[in-house]
Amino acid sequence: MSKVNGKEVPRGLELGLAGCHVCEKVSPVAEVHCPRCGTHLHMRKPDSITRTLALLIAAAVMYVPANLLPILTSRELGISTESTIIAGMVEFWNTGAYPIALVIFTASILIPLLKIVALLWLCAAAKGLVPHSAKLLGKVYWVTELLGRWSMVDIFVVAILVAMVQLGNYMVITPGSGALAFAGVVMLTMFAAMSFDPKLLWDQLEREEEMSTAQPLPESE
Amino acid sequence: MRTRLSILTWPEPKGGPHRAICHYCDTVHVADPIAEGSRANCVLCGATLFQNRPASLVRVTSFSLTALLLMIVVHTAPFVDMDAAGLRTELTLPGAARALIDEGTPLVGLGVALFTIITPLILAGGLVYVCAPLIFGRLAPGAMFVTRWMSRSEPWNMIEVFLLGVLVSLLKLGKVADLHFGIGFWAFAGLMVCMAAAVAAIDKRELWDRLEVAKGQ
Ligand SMILES: [Zn+2]
Repeated sequence: MSKVNGKEVPRGLELGLAGCHVCEKVSPVAEVHCPRCGTHLHMRKPDSITRTLALLIAAAVMYVPANLLPILTSRELGISTESTIIAGMVEFWNTGAYPIALVIFTASILIPLLKIVALLWLCAAAKGLVPHSAKLLGKVYWVTELLGRWSMVDIFVVAILVAMVQLGNYMVITPGSGALAFAGVVMLTMFAAMSFDPKLLWDQLEREEEMSTAQPLPESE
Repeated sequence: MRTRLSILTWPEPKGGPHRAICHYCDTVHVADPIAEGSRANCVLCGATLFQNRPASLVRVTSFSLTALLLMIVVHTAPFVDMDAAGLRTELTLPGAARALIDEGTPLVGLGVALFTIITPLILAGGLVYVCAPLIFGRLAPGAMFVTRWMSRSEPWNMIEVFLLGVLVSLLKLGKVADLHFGIGFWAFAGLMVCMAAAVAAIDKRELWDRLEVAKGQ
């Protein structure tokens, strides 16, 4: 039970009720499948923390080649130049296109990194390893889910440049191996965010509250 | 009994009490019907539980139908023409995905096709297929199956991100070539607006309540 304005509000966990992930109908979790849409019912997303962590580790490993390998190669008058995500951003910055440089920096470098850190923090908080406000971290999770897709912008830029710059001997752009690694990072962090269950943050909060009421510390008296 | 009123009001499925569980904090609420244009929030954490969107079915159908029509334009008309070094190249939406497949990164190319072509098509087509018959209180064959796949594919619809990609690329190319915007570009901007409006026009809970009521008739 959680308390709102002194009134106790029930949680699904206590009542054995689960909301369907697909159609949102609330049913007893003992029914196994949602009576409305047939989706498997879960009290919490299955193996939420383990899956999220595994996907995050994979994303963090991929983040290295994604930034070190070239995402595109341009061959201009016979001279090949390889370009990484960071090099593309620096080029915009040096030519004075600061807003675009900032957009690329935010979408390609900052968001994937912040997503990995934020989800690691959420996992640690759900395990009770760091003190947390479940309400605030719920919002962090919401933002993490919302922003993830925007990191894909650099992949689309590569696709568009490769499609358009096919000018025979004058200039040709081809995609680099970094593009696959980078698309992998974005997809892995999206799957990681989907695997995380924010209800676990409140479960942990409830456990902490029970502990503190069951064994009051002498200092607090 | 089928009444035209089903267009206007969010019907309540049989049985009950109807409940809503907060996605974030797991608090159980009694889901009483709410007025059109308003939203229900979680008493504990404040997250949105569900919203009653005005004229939801008519809006979702017209926006997703417009999106489908715009897709035809987007797939046939070029986004941008580029004149450089005496050569003319043009960008189309399928062309961007195909370029990656042809140039040695087929997996990334398939991803681009999935995020910019296949997912928007599943969403807009699915919404028309499911919601248009629901205006008349009817259930299209397989409507529940289609709706399940729509919710699965929704996070992977990235047309607004692709539009940002087009703008960034044009700024990159603008220095070295002459660029001309084509009809495809404006159609794509319209498609982005229509897709966003269509997805936001109906709450998932309302759609499923309507499907359940139509099935029971
Ligand atoms: Zn809540």
